[in-house]
Amino acid sequence: MKSLNIQSLARCVTARAVRLWIFGLAVAGAITTLPAATPAAAHGERSQQAFLRMRTLNWYDVKWSKTELNVNDEMELTGKVHVFSGWPQAVAKPGESFLNVGEPGPVLIRKSAYVGEVPVPRTFSMDVGKDYEYKIVLKARRQGRYHVHVQINVKDGGPIVGPGQWITIKGDMKDFTNPVTLLEGSTIDLETYGITWTYIYHFFWMAAAAAWILYWFMTKGIIVRYWQVKAGKGAQLIGQDEKRIGAITLAAVLLAVIVFYAAANKEFPRTLPMQAGLLTGISPIDEPRSTVAVQFKGGSYTVPGRELRIRVKVANNGKEPVRLGEFTSAGLRFLNPEVFTSRPDFPDYLLADRGLSVSDPNPIAPGETRDMEVIVQDARFDIERLSDLAYDTDSQFGGLLFFFSPSGERQKAEVGGPVIPRFQAGAAL
Amino acid sequence: MSASTETGSPAGKTWKSKEEFLGCVILTDWILLVILFAVLLGSFHIHYMLLAGDWDFWIDFKDRRMWPTVAPIVAMCFAAASQSFFWTRFRLPIGATTVVLALLVGEWINRYDNFWGWTFFPINLVFPSALIPMGFWLDIVLMISGSWLITAVVGGLGWGLLFYPINWPVLAQYHQAAEIDGVLLTLADLIGFNYVRTGTPEYIRMVERGTLRTFGKDVVPVAAFFSGFISMLVYFLWWNMGKWFSTTKYLEIEEV
Repeated sequence: MKSLNIQSLARCVTARAVRLWIFGLAVAGAITTLPAATPAAAHGERSQQAFLRMRTLNWYDVKWSKTELNVNDEMELTGKVHVFSGWPQAVAKPGESFLNVGEPGPVLIRKSAYVGEVPVPRTFSMDVGKDYEYKIVLKARRQGRYHVHVQINVKDGGPIVGPGQWITIKGDMKDFTNPVTLLEGSTIDLETYGITWTYIYHFFWMAAAAAWILYWFMTKGIIVRYWQVKAGKGAQLIGQDEKRIGAITLAAVLLAVIVFYAAANKEFPRTLPMQAGLLTGISPIDEPRSTVAVQFKGGSYTVPGRELRIRVKVANNGKEPVRLGEFTSAGLRFLNPEVFTSRPDFPDYLLADRGLSVSDPNPIAPGETRDMEVIVQDARFDIERLSDLAYDTDSQFGGLLFFFSPSGERQKAEVGGPVIPRFQAGAAL
Repeated sequence: MSASTETGSPAGKTWKSKEEFLGCVILTDWILLVILFAVLLGSFHIHYMLLAGDWDFWIDFKDRRMWPTVAPIVAMCFAAASQSFFWTRFRLPIGATTVVLALLVGEWINRYDNFWGWTFFPINLVFPSALIPMGFWLDIVLMISGSWLITAVVGGLGWGLLFYPINWPVLAQYHQAAEIDGVLLTLADLIGFNYVRTGTPEYIRMVERGTLRTFGKDVVPVAAFFSGFISMLVYFLWWNMGKWFSTTKYLEIEEV
C-alpha cells in the first residue's frame, strides 16, 4: 500500500506537472500582488452611530492651514472641540483620550500635537462639559490626494472622527526626510534610521537557521529517518558526533548573542525605557461664560424630509441683540443664510450654507427670553447618516448653537435632548 | 542528501532500479519539507499574530515588562509542538528552529509587503521580534539531553531568558532619548507618535504596567524569569499537543 502511494506520487511529479505547478504559483502570485491598491476615500465616520457622533465631541473652528503641499512641507490642523455635557451613557467618558489624525496610513506624519499649550504625544484627560483647543503639525510624506480628519480616540469609547478635508501632496516619498535631534546632540533621519542594521541582524539569524535546518535535512532527510525511528533505530541517528556538532553550534550561537548584546551596549551606552503615562490637568479654553442660555423644549426628526425641528427657549443675557447663525453637530455645519452672507471656507460635504432657519428671524433683544423653533434641513443630514438617529437606541441629538451680535461677537450654547422620529412627510411637531 | 535502503525499505518489485527508488525518496523529502514549512508558517503566523499581535507589530509596544513576558510564552506553543513532531518521528533536532524561521519568513513578508508596501509604515516601526537563537537553544538542549522533560525545564527557562538579550541589539538604538516640544521621548515612542496609526491610539500600549516592581528599575530579568517559568508549563502542554497532532493512521487496503 505504502509503495503504491509513493509510486503514484512519483508519477505525478513529472516535468509537465512541475511546470503546471510553477505556472499556477506564478499566476497566484501575480493576482495577489500586482493589482494596485486603490486609495481609501473615507475613514468610516459615517458608519458610527449618529447619537455617538452628535453627543460626544462637537468640533468647531476646524482649519487646515494648507490643502496643497509638497513632500516635506508642513501644515497645521487646528480647531476647538466641545466635550458634550450629555455624554452618552453607552460610551466611556474621555478620561483617557488621544489626539489623532484620520488618514490612510502615515501619508502625513504628525510632528507635534498640542491641546491648549500642552504638547500631547501621549494620552491625556478631558472633562465633560469643557472646550479644548488643539493643534496638530503635520508634515507631508507621500504624494497623492488624501482625506485628512482630526480625530480623538477615547479609551473604551473608540475613535471619534471630526471633519475631514482633501489634501493634495506633490513630489515623491523617496525625498522625504524626518530629521530628529537626539538628546546627546546628533541628528538622525528617523525615516530610515536603523533599518539597514535591522535587516542585517534579522537575516543573519534567519540564514543561520536555514543552514542548520538544511544540514540536518541533507543528512538522511525525512523519510529515511522516519523508517529508522520506526524500526527502533532512532538512537543511532543522534550519536556523540551529532551531539558534538550541536554543542559547538550552541556555543557559537550563545557567543554571538553575547557579542551582539555587548556591542549594542557599547554603541548605545545611554538608553531610556519607553515613556508612557496619562497627561492630566490640561486646562480647557479660558472663555467668558456665554451670555446666551438655551433650554431645550422638545424636537422631532422628519425622516423623509431630512428635517430636524427643535423647540428651544433662548435667553439673551448680553448687552447686544443676537441672532442664531449656526448649528453644528458631528462635524457638519448648518448655516442661517440671513446671518452668514458669505460662504465660509469649509469642506463642501460638511457645509450646509442654507441649512438652518428659525421660526422668528428677528434678533433677540438684550434681556429678552423667547420661545423659538429651529429648523435644520439639508440632504447632508441624511448623506452623513445622522438621520439614522431615528434608529439608534439612544435617540437623542446634540450639538452647538452659535448666536451672533451685530458687532460680530459669537456666543456658543450647547443644545441636545430626545427627538421624536416622524416617518411621514409633513408631520407636525 | 544521502539516502539508502539500509532500513530494509520497500524497494522491491515496484521500482526499476535502486537509483529510481532513492530519487523518489529524495524528491518526496523536498516536497515534504516545503509543505511542512508552509503549513508551519501559516499556522504559527496566525497563532502568533492573534496572541502577540501589537507587541510584535510595533516598536513602541516593545517594552521591558509585557513584551518579554508575553511574546516568548505564546511563541513556545508551536516550538514545543513542532519539536515533538520532528523529534519523536524523525529524530530531527530542527523543530523549534524550523518553526521560528517559518514565522519570521511569514512576518517579514507581511511587514514588508503589507505594512511598508501598502500602508507605508517604515520598517523601523514594524519589524518583528527576533526569535531564531531561542530556536537553536531549544533544539540543541533536546538533542543533547534527549529528554523532553529536561528540555521543558532547561530549554523553557532559557527560552524566556534569551528573548530580551536577543532583541536588544536592534532595539537599543531606538531607546536613545530625544526632547520633542519639551517632552522626553525615546525614538521608539517618537516613531510611534510621528507615523500616524488611526486605529492604534497611544493608550492601548501597555508600557510597563503590572505589579512586578520588587527589583526597581531592573524590570527585564523579573519579566524574563516569569516568562521562562510559564514557558516551561506551556512546553509540557504543547509537546503533548504536537504528539497528538503527529499521530499517523493508515487505512488497510481491505478497508478501501
